[in-house]
Amino acid sequence: MKKVLVVDDDVDIRKVVSKLVEKSGYKVMEAKNGIEGMGKVREDKPDLIILDILMPKESGIRMYRELKTEEPLKDIPVIVLSAITKKSFFRSQKVLDEFAGQSVPEPEAYIEKPEEPEELIALMKKILG
Amino acid sequence: MTNKAKILIVDDDIDTVELLTRRFHAEGYDTSEAYDGEQAMQQVEEYKPDLILLDIMMPKIDGYEVCRRLKGSEDTKLIPIIMLTAKGKIPDKVKGLGIGADDYIAKPFDYRELSQRVKYWTAVKMEVQERLREIHRLEQELIKSERLAAIGQTVASLAHYVKNILFGLKGGVYLVNEALKEDDTDSLKDGWDMLESSMGRISGLVLDLLEYSRERKPEYEKCFPNEIANEVCKLIEESAKEYDIEIIKGFDQSMGEVLLDPKGIHRCLLNLVSNARDACIFDSNEEKKWVVQVRTILENDGTVRFEVSDNGCGMDEEVKKKLFTSFFSTKGGRGTGLGLLNTQKIVQEHGGTITVNSQPGKGSTFTIRLPYRDVATQGATEEKESHQVQL
Repeated sequence: MKKVLVVDDDVDIRKVVSKLVEKSGYKVMEAKNGIEGMGKVREDKPDLIILDILMPKESGIRMYRELKTEEPLKDIPVIVLSAITKKSFFRSQKVLDEFAGQSVPEPEAYIEKPEEPEELIALMKKILG
Repeated sequence: MTNKAKILIVDDDIDTVELLTRRFHAEGYDTSEAYDGEQAMQQVEEYKPDLILLDIMMPKIDGYEVCRRLKGSEDTKLIPIIMLTAKGKIPDKVKGLGIGADDYIAKPFDYRELSQRVKYWTAVKMEVQERLREIHRLEQELIKSERLAAIGQTVASLAHYVKNILFGLKGGVYLVNEALKEDDTDSLKDGWDMLESSMGRISGLVLDLLEYSRERKPEYEKCFPNEIANEVCKLIEESAKEYDIEIIKGFDQSMGEVLLDPKGIHRCLLNLVSNARDACIFDSNEEKKWVVQVRTILENDGTVRFEVSDNGCGMDEEVKKKLFTSFFSTKGGRGTGLGLLNTQKIVQEHGGTITVNSQPGKGSTFTIRLPYRDVATQGATEEKESHQVQL
Protein backbone atom coordinates (compact mmCIF):
# COMPACT_ATOMS: atom_id res chain seq x y z
CA MET A 1 0.00 0.00 0.00
CA LYS A 2 1.34 3.41 -0.93
CA LYS A 3 2.12 5.83 1.89
CA VAL A 4 1.16 9.49 2.11
CA LEU A 5 2.66 11.84 4.70
CA VAL A 6 0.41 14.71 5.82
CA VAL A 7 2.27 17.64 7.39
CA ASP A 8 0.07 20.35 8.97
CA ASP A 9 0.10 22.04 12.38
CA ASP A 10 -3.67 22.38 12.42
CA VAL A 11 -5.19 19.28 14.04
CA ASP A 12 -8.49 19.70 12.19
CA ILE A 13 -6.85 20.02 8.79
CA ARG A 14 -4.63 17.03 9.51
CA LYS A 15 -7.69 14.96 10.36
CA VAL A 16 -9.58 15.99 7.24
CA VAL A 17 -6.67 15.32 4.90
CA SER A 18 -5.82 12.02 6.60
CA LYS A 19 -9.40 10.84 6.17
CA LEU A 20 -9.31 11.74 2.51
CA VAL A 21 -6.04 9.84 2.11
CA GLU A 22 -7.43 6.77 3.81
CA LYS A 23 -10.64 6.92 1.81
CA SER A 24 -8.56 6.92 -1.36
CA GLY A 25 -6.97 3.66 -0.27
CA TYR A 26 -3.53 4.83 0.89
CA LYS A 27 -1.71 4.47 4.19
CA VAL A 28 -1.47 7.76 6.08
CA MET A 29 1.39 9.16 8.16
CA GLU A 30 1.07 12.43 10.08
CA ALA A 31 3.43 15.16 11.28
CA LYS A 32 2.66 18.52 12.89
CA ASN A 33 5.68 20.54 11.79
CA GLY A 34 8.68 20.48 9.49
CA ILE A 35 11.08 18.91 11.99
CA GLU A 36 8.71 16.06 12.76
CA GLY A 37 7.95 15.79 9.05
CA MET A 38 11.61 15.35 8.06
CA GLY A 39 12.01 12.76 10.83
CA LYS A 40 9.12 10.72 9.45
CA VAL A 41 10.42 11.03 5.89
CA ARG A 42 13.85 9.66 6.87
CA GLU A 43 12.34 6.92 9.01
CA ASP A 44 9.93 5.61 6.43
CA LYS A 45 10.07 7.15 2.98
CA PRO A 46 6.54 8.04 1.83
CA ASP A 47 5.32 7.95 -1.78
CA LEU A 48 3.72 11.40 -1.53
CA ILE A 49 3.86 14.34 0.85
CA ILE A 50 0.99 16.75 1.40
CA LEU A 51 2.61 19.82 2.94
CA ASP A 52 1.27 22.91 4.70
CA ILE A 53 3.36 26.09 4.58
CA LEU A 54 2.71 28.12 7.72
CA MET A 55 3.72 25.92 10.64
CA PRO A 56 5.54 26.58 13.91
CA LYS A 57 9.13 25.40 14.50
CA GLU A 58 9.95 24.53 10.95
CA SER A 59 7.81 25.94 8.19
CA GLY A 60 6.83 24.13 5.03
CA ILE A 61 9.06 26.43 3.01
CA ARG A 62 12.13 25.17 4.84
CA MET A 63 11.02 21.54 4.83
CA TYR A 64 10.30 21.72 1.13
CA ARG A 65 13.82 22.96 0.40
CA GLU A 66 15.36 20.31 2.63
CA LEU A 67 13.43 17.63 0.80
CA LYS A 68 14.29 18.84 -2.65
CA THR A 69 18.02 19.19 -1.94
CA GLU A 70 18.56 15.78 -0.34
CA GLU A 71 19.45 13.08 -2.87
CA PRO A 72 17.27 10.11 -1.96
CA LEU A 73 14.34 12.32 -0.97
CA LYS A 74 14.14 14.78 -3.82
CA ASP A 75 12.09 12.44 -6.00
CA ILE A 76 9.19 12.20 -3.53
CA PRO A 77 6.31 14.12 -5.11
CA VAL A 78 4.92 16.97 -2.99
CA ILE A 79 1.49 18.57 -2.99
CA VAL A 80 1.59 21.91 -1.20
CA LEU A 81 -1.71 22.57 0.55
CA SER A 82 -1.82 26.02 2.07
CA ALA A 83 -3.97 29.05 2.73
CA ILE A 84 -1.06 31.08 1.35
CA THR A 85 -1.65 32.00 -2.25
CA LYS A 86 0.27 30.15 -4.93
CA LYS A 87 1.72 33.46 -6.11
CA SER A 88 3.27 34.30 -2.73
CA PHE A 89 4.73 30.83 -2.41
CA PHE A 90 6.41 30.87 -5.82
CA ARG A 91 7.70 34.38 -5.21
CA SER A 92 9.26 33.32 -1.90
CA GLN A 93 10.83 30.28 -3.62
CA LYS A 94 12.38 32.50 -6.26
CA VAL A 95 13.87 34.79 -3.63
CA LEU A 96 15.25 31.80 -1.72
CA ASP A 97 16.66 30.29 -4.92
CA GLU A 98 18.59 33.46 -5.60
CA PHE A 99 19.72 33.72 -2.00
CA ALA A 100 20.93 30.14 -1.76
CA GLY A 101 22.35 30.11 -5.28
CA GLN A 102 20.54 26.86 -6.01
CA SER A 103 17.34 26.30 -7.84
CA VAL A 104 14.74 23.98 -6.38
CA PRO A 105 12.12 22.36 -8.64
CA GLU A 106 8.47 23.32 -8.31
CA PRO A 107 6.13 21.08 -6.34
CA GLU A 108 4.03 18.55 -8.28
CA ALA A 109 0.92 20.54 -7.36
CA TYR A 110 -0.10 23.56 -5.36
CA ILE A 111 -3.54 23.79 -3.82
CA GLU A 112 -4.88 26.85 -2.08
CA LYS A 113 -7.11 26.18 0.92
CA PRO A 114 -10.00 25.80 1.04
CA GLU A 115 -9.98 23.38 -1.87
CA GLU A 116 -12.62 20.87 -2.80
CA PRO A 117 -11.89 17.45 -1.24
CA GLU A 118 -12.61 15.85 -4.61
CA GLU A 119 -9.83 17.91 -6.18
CA LEU A 120 -7.27 16.67 -3.64
CA ILE A 121 -8.35 13.06 -4.11
CA ALA A 122 -8.12 13.36 -7.89
CA LEU A 123 -4.62 14.83 -7.60
CA MET A 124 -3.41 12.05 -5.30
CA LYS A 125 -4.74 9.44 -7.69
CA LYS A 126 -3.11 11.15 -10.65
CA ILE A 127 0.29 11.30 -8.95
CA LEU A 128 0.26 7.89 -7.27
CA GLY A 129 -1.63 6.06 -9.97
CA MET B 1 -14.58 85.21 12.12
CA THR B 2 -12.06 87.93 12.81
CA ASN B 3 -8.42 87.57 11.93
CA LYS B 4 -7.35 90.35 14.28
CA ALA B 5 -4.43 89.47 16.52
CA LYS B 6 -5.49 89.52 20.19
CA ILE B 7 -3.39 91.43 22.69
CA LEU B 8 -3.79 91.12 26.44
CA ILE B 9 -2.66 94.29 28.23
CA VAL B 10 -1.70 93.69 31.86
CA ASP B 11 -0.94 96.75 34.03
CA ASP B 12 -2.20 98.02 37.36
CA ASP B 13 -2.09 101.58 36.01
CA ILE B 14 -5.49 102.28 34.45
CA ASP B 15 -4.20 105.21 32.41
CA THR B 16 -1.54 103.10 30.69
CA VAL B 17 -4.09 100.38 29.90
CA GLU B 18 -6.55 102.94 28.46
CA LEU B 19 -3.93 104.59 26.32
CA LEU B 20 -2.53 101.33 24.95
CA THR B 21 -6.02 99.96 24.31
CA ARG B 22 -6.96 102.98 22.21
CA ARG B 23 -3.73 102.93 20.24
CA PHE B 24 -3.85 99.20 19.48
CA HIS B 25 -7.50 99.41 18.44
CA ALA B 26 -6.51 102.17 16.04
CA GLU B 27 -3.92 99.81 14.55
CA GLY B 28 -6.49 97.09 14.02
CA TYR B 29 -5.75 94.78 16.97
CA ASP B 30 -8.28 93.27 19.31
CA THR B 31 -7.47 93.80 22.99
CA SER B 32 -8.44 92.79 26.47
CA GLU B 33 -7.10 93.98 29.80
CA ALA B 34 -6.15 92.81 33.27
CA TYR B 35 -5.12 94.92 36.28
CA ASP B 36 -3.28 92.37 38.38
CA GLY B 37 -1.58 89.01 38.03
CA GLU B 38 -4.60 86.96 39.04
CA GLN B 39 -6.84 88.63 36.48
CA ALA B 40 -4.08 88.15 33.92
CA MET B 41 -3.99 84.37 34.47
CA GLN B 42 -7.77 84.22 34.19
CA GLN B 43 -7.82 86.34 31.01
CA VAL B 44 -5.16 84.16 29.38
CA GLU B 45 -7.43 81.19 29.85
CA GLU B 46 -10.64 82.89 28.67
CA TYR B 47 -9.43 85.35 26.05
CA LYS B 48 -6.60 83.21 24.63
CA PRO B 49 -4.43 86.14 23.55
CA ASP B 50 -1.84 86.02 20.75
CA LEU B 51 0.44 88.36 22.68
CA ILE B 52 0.74 89.64 26.25
CA LEU B 53 2.02 93.02 27.33
CA LEU B 54 2.96 92.43 30.93
CA ASP B 55 3.80 94.95 33.64
CA ILE B 56 6.17 93.71 36.34
CA MET B 57 5.18 95.56 39.49
CA MET B 58 1.61 94.57 40.26
CA PRO B 59 -0.45 93.61 43.31
CA LYS B 60 -1.25 89.96 44.19
CA ILE B 61 0.83 88.01 41.65
CA ASP B 62 3.60 90.10 40.08
CA GLY B 63 4.64 90.03 36.43
CA TYR B 64 7.60 87.74 36.98
CA GLU B 65 5.39 85.10 38.53
CA VAL B 66 2.74 85.42 35.78
CA CYS B 67 5.47 85.01 33.18
CA ARG B 68 6.99 82.02 34.97
CA ARG B 69 3.64 80.27 35.20
CA LEU B 70 2.66 80.91 31.58
CA LYS B 71 6.02 79.83 30.21
CA GLY B 72 5.97 76.74 32.40
CA SER B 73 2.69 75.46 31.00
CA GLU B 74 2.38 73.44 27.78
CA ASP B 75 -0.82 75.28 26.85
CA THR B 76 0.48 78.83 27.18
CA LYS B 77 4.24 78.70 26.69
CA LEU B 78 3.99 79.71 23.03
CA ILE B 79 2.21 83.02 23.72
CA PRO B 80 4.84 85.77 23.32
CA ILE B 81 5.25 88.00 26.38
CA ILE B 82 6.64 91.51 26.25
CA MET B 83 7.61 92.74 29.71
CA LEU B 84 6.62 96.34 30.37
CA THR B 85 7.98 98.24 33.32
CA ALA B 86 9.03 101.57 34.77
CA LYS B 87 12.27 100.03 35.90
CA GLY B 88 14.93 100.33 33.26
CA LYS B 89 17.87 98.84 35.06
CA ILE B 90 19.82 95.96 33.55
CA PRO B 91 19.34 93.37 36.35
CA ASP B 92 15.59 93.63 35.90
CA LYS B 93 15.98 93.18 32.16
CA VAL B 94 18.00 90.05 32.70
CA LYS B 95 15.51 88.80 35.20
CA GLY B 96 12.64 89.38 32.79
CA LEU B 97 14.23 87.51 29.92
CA GLY B 98 15.74 84.87 32.21
CA ILE B 99 12.34 83.62 33.25
CA GLY B 100 11.22 83.23 29.69
CA ALA B 101 9.79 86.57 28.63
CA ASP B 102 10.28 87.01 24.90
CA ASP B 103 11.01 90.72 24.90
CA TYR B 104 11.33 93.67 27.19
CA ILE B 105 10.49 97.35 26.88
CA ALA B 106 11.18 100.04 29.51
CA LYS B 107 8.77 102.74 30.57
CA PRO B 108 8.46 105.46 29.60
CA PHE B 109 8.45 103.86 26.17
CA ASP B 110 8.29 105.21 22.71
CA TYR B 111 4.96 104.03 21.34
CA ARG B 112 6.34 103.51 17.82
CA GLU B 113 8.99 101.19 19.22
CA LEU B 114 6.39 99.21 21.16
CA SER B 115 4.19 99.05 18.07
CA GLN B 116 7.06 97.62 16.01
CA ARG B 117 7.79 94.95 18.58
CA VAL B 118 4.12 94.01 18.92
CA LYS B 119 3.89 93.68 15.15
CA TYR B 120 6.96 91.46 15.12
CA TRP B 121 5.86 89.17 17.95
CA THR B 122 2.28 88.73 16.74
CA ALA B 123 3.68 87.73 13.35
CA VAL B 124 5.96 85.20 15.04
CA LYS B 125 3.02 83.80 16.99
CA MET B 126 0.90 83.40 13.82
CA GLU B 127 3.75 81.63 12.06
CA VAL B 128 4.28 79.23 14.98
CA GLN B 129 0.57 78.53 15.13
CA GLU B 130 0.48 77.78 11.43
CA ARG B 131 3.38 75.33 11.81
CA LEU B 132 1.71 73.64 14.75
CA ARG B 133 -1.50 73.25 12.80
CA GLU B 134 0.47 71.66 9.98
CA ILE B 135 2.23 69.27 12.37
CA HIS B 136 -1.08 68.37 13.96
CA ARG B 137 -2.62 67.71 10.54
CA LEU B 138 0.30 65.45 9.56
CA GLU B 139 -0.01 63.58 12.85
CA GLN B 140 -3.69 62.96 12.24
CA GLU B 141 -2.94 61.69 8.74
CA LEU B 142 -0.31 59.33 10.09
CA ILE B 143 -2.63 57.95 12.75
CA LYS B 144 -5.31 57.40 10.13
CA SER B 145 -3.01 55.58 7.74
CA GLU B 146 -1.67 53.41 10.55
CA ARG B 147 -5.20 52.50 11.52
CA LEU B 148 -6.00 51.59 7.93
CA ALA B 149 -2.87 49.45 7.71
CA ALA B 150 -3.89 47.66 10.90
CA ILE B 151 -7.34 46.98 9.48
CA GLY B 152 -5.83 45.66 6.25
CA GLN B 153 -3.57 43.32 8.21
CA THR B 154 -6.47 42.09 10.31
CA VAL B 155 -8.64 41.40 7.31
CA ALA B 156 -5.81 39.42 5.67
CA SER B 157 -5.12 37.37 8.79
CA LEU B 158 -8.83 36.83 9.38
CA ALA B 159 -9.26 35.62 5.81
CA HIS B 160 -6.42 33.16 6.32
CA TYR B 161 -7.97 31.92 9.56
CA VAL B 162 -11.39 31.52 7.97
CA LYS B 163 -9.90 29.66 4.98
CA ASN B 164 -8.57 27.00 7.35
CA ILE B 165 -11.94 26.64 9.06
CA LEU B 166 -13.71 26.47 5.72
CA PHE B 167 -11.44 23.63 4.67
CA GLY B 168 -12.45 21.72 7.81
CA LEU B 169 -16.13 22.31 6.97
CA LYS B 170 -15.71 21.14 3.38
CA GLY B 171 -13.86 18.04 4.51
CA GLY B 172 -16.57 17.29 7.04
CA VAL B 173 -19.35 17.68 4.48
CA TYR B 174 -17.48 15.46 2.02
CA LEU B 175 -17.03 12.70 4.60
CA VAL B 176 -20.67 12.88 5.66
CA ASN B 177 -21.84 12.69 2.03
CA GLU B 178 -19.57 9.74 1.27
CA ALA B 179 -20.67 7.99 4.46
CA LEU B 180 -24.32 8.41 3.51
CA LYS B 181 -23.63 7.03 0.03
CA GLU B 182 -21.81 4.01 1.40
CA ASP B 183 -23.84 3.65 4.59
CA ASP B 184 -20.65 3.83 6.66
CA THR B 185 -21.38 4.97 10.23
CA ASP B 186 -17.71 5.27 11.26
CA SER B 187 -17.03 7.80 8.53
CA LEU B 188 -20.25 9.57 9.41
CA LYS B 189 -18.97 10.11 12.94
CA ASP B 190 -15.60 11.40 11.66
CA GLY B 191 -17.26 13.84 9.30
CA TRP B 192 -19.66 15.01 11.95
CA ASP B 193 -16.84 15.57 14.48
CA MET B 194 -15.03 17.67 11.89
CA LEU B 195 -18.10 19.81 11.30
CA GLU B 196 -18.58 20.31 15.03
CA SER B 197 -14.99 21.27 15.63
CA SER B 198 -15.07 23.77 12.75
CA MET B 199 -18.24 25.29 14.11
CA GLY B 200 -16.54 25.63 17.48
CA ARG B 201 -13.72 27.58 15.87
CA ILE B 202 -16.14 29.91 14.11
CA SER B 203 -17.95 30.54 17.41
CA GLY B 204 -14.64 31.33 19.07
CA LEU B 205 -13.73 33.77 16.33
CA VAL B 206 -17.11 35.51 16.45
CA LEU B 207 -16.89 35.77 20.25
CA ASP B 208 -13.45 37.34 19.96
CA LEU B 209 -14.68 39.87 17.42
CA LEU B 210 -17.77 40.75 19.41
CA GLU B 211 -15.84 41.00 22.64
CA TYR B 212 -13.50 43.44 21.02
CA SER B 213 -16.16 45.64 19.51
CA ARG B 214 -18.52 46.05 22.42
CA GLU B 215 -18.36 47.96 25.66
CA ARG B 216 -18.80 45.68 28.58
CA LYS B 217 -19.22 46.36 32.26
CA PRO B 218 -17.85 43.71 34.62
CA GLU B 219 -20.58 41.52 36.05
CA TYR B 220 -19.59 41.07 39.67
CA GLU B 221 -20.51 37.76 41.23
CA LYS B 222 -19.37 35.75 44.20
CA CYS B 223 -16.72 33.37 42.95
CA PHE B 224 -13.61 31.44 43.89
CA PRO B 225 -10.68 32.65 41.74
CA ASN B 226 -8.83 29.37 42.35
CA GLU B 227 -11.73 27.42 40.88
CA ILE B 228 -11.77 29.55 37.75
CA ALA B 229 -8.01 29.09 37.31
CA ASN B 230 -8.42 25.36 37.83
CA GLU B 231 -11.16 25.10 35.18
CA VAL B 232 -8.98 26.94 32.69
CA CYS B 233 -6.03 24.63 33.36
CA LYS B 234 -8.29 21.62 32.79
CA LEU B 235 -9.41 22.99 29.43
CA ILE B 236 -5.84 23.38 28.21
CA GLU B 237 -4.28 20.30 29.80
CA GLU B 238 -5.24 17.84 27.08
CA SER B 239 -3.89 19.80 24.15
CA ALA B 240 -0.77 20.68 26.17
CA LYS B 241 -0.11 17.01 26.81
CA GLU B 242 -0.12 16.35 23.08
CA TYR B 243 2.96 18.58 22.85
CA ASP B 244 4.61 17.32 26.09
CA ILE B 245 3.91 20.53 27.97
CA GLU B 246 3.33 20.26 31.70
CA ILE B 247 0.87 22.59 33.41
CA ILE B 248 1.78 23.41 37.02
CA LYS B 249 -0.78 24.98 39.32
CA GLY B 250 0.20 27.16 42.27
CA PHE B 251 -2.95 28.43 43.92
CA ASP B 252 -2.96 30.62 47.04
CA GLN B 253 -4.84 28.58 49.63
CA SER B 254 -5.78 31.69 51.63
CA MET B 255 -7.86 32.86 48.67
CA GLY B 256 -11.52 32.44 49.50
CA GLU B 257 -14.70 33.66 47.91
CA VAL B 258 -14.55 37.20 46.48
CA LEU B 259 -16.64 39.45 44.28
CA LEU B 260 -15.20 39.56 40.76
CA ASP B 261 -16.41 39.06 37.21
CA PRO B 262 -15.91 35.30 36.80
CA LYS B 263 -16.76 35.17 33.07
CA GLY B 264 -14.33 37.95 32.26
CA ILE B 265 -11.57 36.35 34.30
CA HIS B 266 -12.21 33.01 32.68
CA ARG B 267 -11.77 34.51 29.21
CA CYS B 268 -8.60 36.35 30.24
CA LEU B 269 -6.99 33.32 31.86
CA LEU B 270 -8.00 30.99 29.05
CA ASN B 271 -6.38 33.37 26.64
CA LEU B 272 -3.16 33.74 28.62
CA VAL B 273 -2.82 30.01 29.34
CA SER B 274 -3.43 29.02 25.71
CA ASN B 275 -0.92 31.69 24.65
CA ALA B 276 1.61 30.20 27.09
CA ARG B 277 0.98 26.76 25.62
CA ASP B 278 1.42 28.13 22.09
CA ALA B 279 4.67 29.84 23.13
CA CYS B 280 5.97 26.37 24.06
CA ILE B 281 4.66 24.84 20.83
CA PHE B 282 6.41 27.56 18.83
CA ASP B 283 9.68 27.11 20.72
CA SER B 284 12.33 25.51 18.51
CA ASN B 285 14.53 24.39 21.40
CA GLU B 286 13.69 20.68 21.57
CA GLU B 287 16.01 20.16 24.58
CA LYS B 288 13.66 21.99 26.93
CA LYS B 289 11.20 20.44 29.31
CA TRP B 290 8.27 22.79 28.66
CA VAL B 291 6.29 24.06 31.60
CA VAL B 292 3.34 26.43 31.93
CA GLN B 293 2.79 27.77 35.44
CA VAL B 294 -0.51 29.21 36.60
CA ARG B 295 -0.50 30.99 39.97
CA THR B 296 -3.05 32.87 42.02
CA ILE B 297 -2.02 35.23 44.80
CA LEU B 298 -4.21 37.15 47.26
CA GLU B 299 -2.46 40.48 47.80
CA ASN B 300 -2.67 42.63 50.93
CA ASP B 301 -3.72 45.71 48.95
CA GLY B 302 -7.15 44.41 47.97
CA THR B 303 -6.15 42.89 44.65
CA VAL B 304 -6.06 39.39 43.26
CA ARG B 305 -3.00 38.56 41.22
CA PHE B 306 -3.00 35.95 38.46
CA GLU B 307 0.31 34.92 37.00
CA VAL B 308 0.76 32.83 33.88
CA SER B 309 4.32 32.00 32.91
CA ASP B 310 5.92 29.70 30.38
CA ASN B 311 9.45 28.72 29.40
CA GLY B 312 8.62 28.77 25.69
CA CYS B 313 9.94 30.91 22.87
CA GLY B 314 9.59 34.31 24.58
CA MET B 315 9.28 37.62 22.77
CA ASP B 316 11.73 40.19 21.46
CA GLU B 317 11.28 43.94 21.98
CA GLU B 318 9.59 44.34 18.61
CA VAL B 319 6.86 41.84 19.44
CA LYS B 320 6.47 43.17 22.99
CA LYS B 321 5.86 46.67 21.66
CA LYS B 322 3.09 45.50 19.37
CA LEU B 323 1.42 43.20 21.90
CA PHE B 324 -1.44 45.39 22.95
CA THR B 325 -1.32 48.03 20.24
CA SER B 326 -2.98 46.65 17.13
CA PHE B 327 -4.36 43.51 15.63
CA PHE B 328 -1.17 41.56 15.67
CA SER B 329 -0.44 37.86 15.69
CA THR B 330 2.76 35.85 15.54
CA LYS B 331 0.90 32.59 15.12
CA GLY B 332 0.73 32.51 11.35
CA GLY B 333 -2.77 31.63 10.29
CA ARG B 334 -3.84 30.42 13.71
CA GLY B 335 -4.26 33.64 15.65
CA THR B 336 -6.86 36.31 15.07
CA GLY B 337 -4.65 38.91 16.77
CA LEU B 338 -7.53 39.72 19.09
CA GLY B 339 -6.85 37.51 22.12
CA LEU B 340 -4.51 39.76 24.06
CA LEU B 341 -6.37 42.90 23.04
CA ASN B 342 -9.52 41.41 24.50
CA THR B 343 -7.73 40.30 27.64
CA GLN B 344 -6.39 43.79 28.16
CA LYS B 345 -9.81 45.27 27.50
CA ILE B 346 -11.52 43.04 30.07
CA VAL B 347 -8.83 43.71 32.68
CA GLN B 348 -9.12 47.46 32.18
CA GLU B 349 -12.89 47.38 32.35
CA HIS B 350 -12.36 45.63 35.63
CA GLY B 351 -10.14 48.47 36.85
CA GLY B 352 -7.07 46.21 36.86
CA THR B 353 -3.69 46.10 35.18
CA ILE B 354 -1.87 43.62 32.96
CA THR B 355 1.90 43.49 32.70
CA VAL B 356 4.32 41.33 30.80
CA ASN B 357 7.87 40.20 31.30
CA SER B 358 9.57 38.31 28.53
CA GLN B 359 12.93 37.19 27.23
CA PRO B 360 13.49 35.70 23.79
CA GLY B 361 14.28 32.01 24.13
CA LYS B 362 13.57 31.98 27.87
CA GLY B 363 9.82 32.50 28.09
CA SER B 364 7.20 35.02 29.20
CA THR B 365 5.22 35.88 32.31
CA PHE B 366 1.90 37.70 32.13
CA THR B 367 0.53 39.18 35.35
CA ILE B 368 -3.02 40.39 35.88
CA ARG B 369 -3.93 42.39 38.98
CA LEU B 370 -7.61 42.90 39.68
CA PRO B 371 -9.15 44.90 42.52
CA TYR B 372 -11.76 42.65 44.11
CA ARG B 373 -14.69 43.39 46.38
CA ASP B 374 -15.06 41.55 49.64
CA VAL B 375 -18.10 39.33 49.77
CA ALA B 376 -18.97 40.85 53.19
CA THR B 377 -18.90 44.46 51.98
CA GLN B 378 -20.77 43.84 48.77
CA GLY B 379 -21.36 47.05 46.83
CA ALA B 380 -19.70 49.23 49.47
CA THR B 381 -16.50 49.84 47.55
CA GLU B 382 -16.52 51.80 44.32
CA GLU B 383 -14.82 50.48 41.24
CA LYS B 384 -11.21 51.57 41.16
CA GLU B 385 -10.24 53.88 38.32
CA SER B 386 -6.70 52.76 37.61
CA HIS B 387 -6.59 51.91 33.94
CA GLN B 388 -2.88 51.80 33.48
CA VAL B 389 -0.96 49.27 31.50
CA GLN B 390 2.67 49.12 32.40
CA LEU B 391 4.91 47.60 29.83
